[in-house]
Amino acid sequence: MDHLLLLLWHALLVSIFFAFLWRTDGPARRGLFLKTFLIMVLGGLALGWLMYPVP
Amino acid sequence: MERGSRTMSDSLRSSDKDSGETSAPFGLLVIAWLVPGLGHLLLGRRVRAAVFAGVVVAAFLTGLALSGELAVPRAGNPLSWIATFGCLGNGGLYFIAKLLGFGQGDPTAVGFLYGKTFLYTGGLMNLLCVLDVSDIARGEKD
Repeated sequence: MDHLLLLLWHALLVSIFFAFLWRTDGPARRGLFLKTFLIMVLGGLALGWLMYPVP
Repeated sequence: MERGSRTMSDSLRSSDKDSGETSAPFGLLVIAWLVPGLGHLLLGRRVRAAVFAGVVVAAFLTGLALSGELAVPRAGNPLSWIATFGCLGNGGLYFIAKLLGFGQGDPTAVGFLYGKTFLYTGGLMNLLCVLDVSDIARGEKD
């Protein structure tokens, strides 16, 4: 099981969902999707990296 | 649109002009909960309906495939009630999976916790869809 792939898949689903829930026009949807997706992926990786020394 | 003729989506929307009510039809909210995307479809939001249905079903199936557990309330475990609320958000998918014997969960599986996360996520997203349907039906959102 690839943990990174699951992280990306989860971020993709959630980002698409909120882009369509909170925005109505195309460019705004794309913007929110990208912002949400990047925050979830990069934030998840950063948190994982920060917690790496924690047993 | 011709005066006097109403589409299904028009008739499902509460209107201040029609009845003075500001609440969404209860049956519509139940339908929106039971079948992800159907509430939006009935209100004429076809693209959003397809996207929401796809996202919720994908999250739910991923959760089951990863051996996630469809939560049930357990005595003495208050958190299980919250987990059940999240899983029940999946609506009809929850009941169908339970009837077919899926979602028992395998705590020894590598994907168990990930699976539960996907199941909760799908349920909570579907509940947000129900709130969205309510907003659209009350005319507070396009």
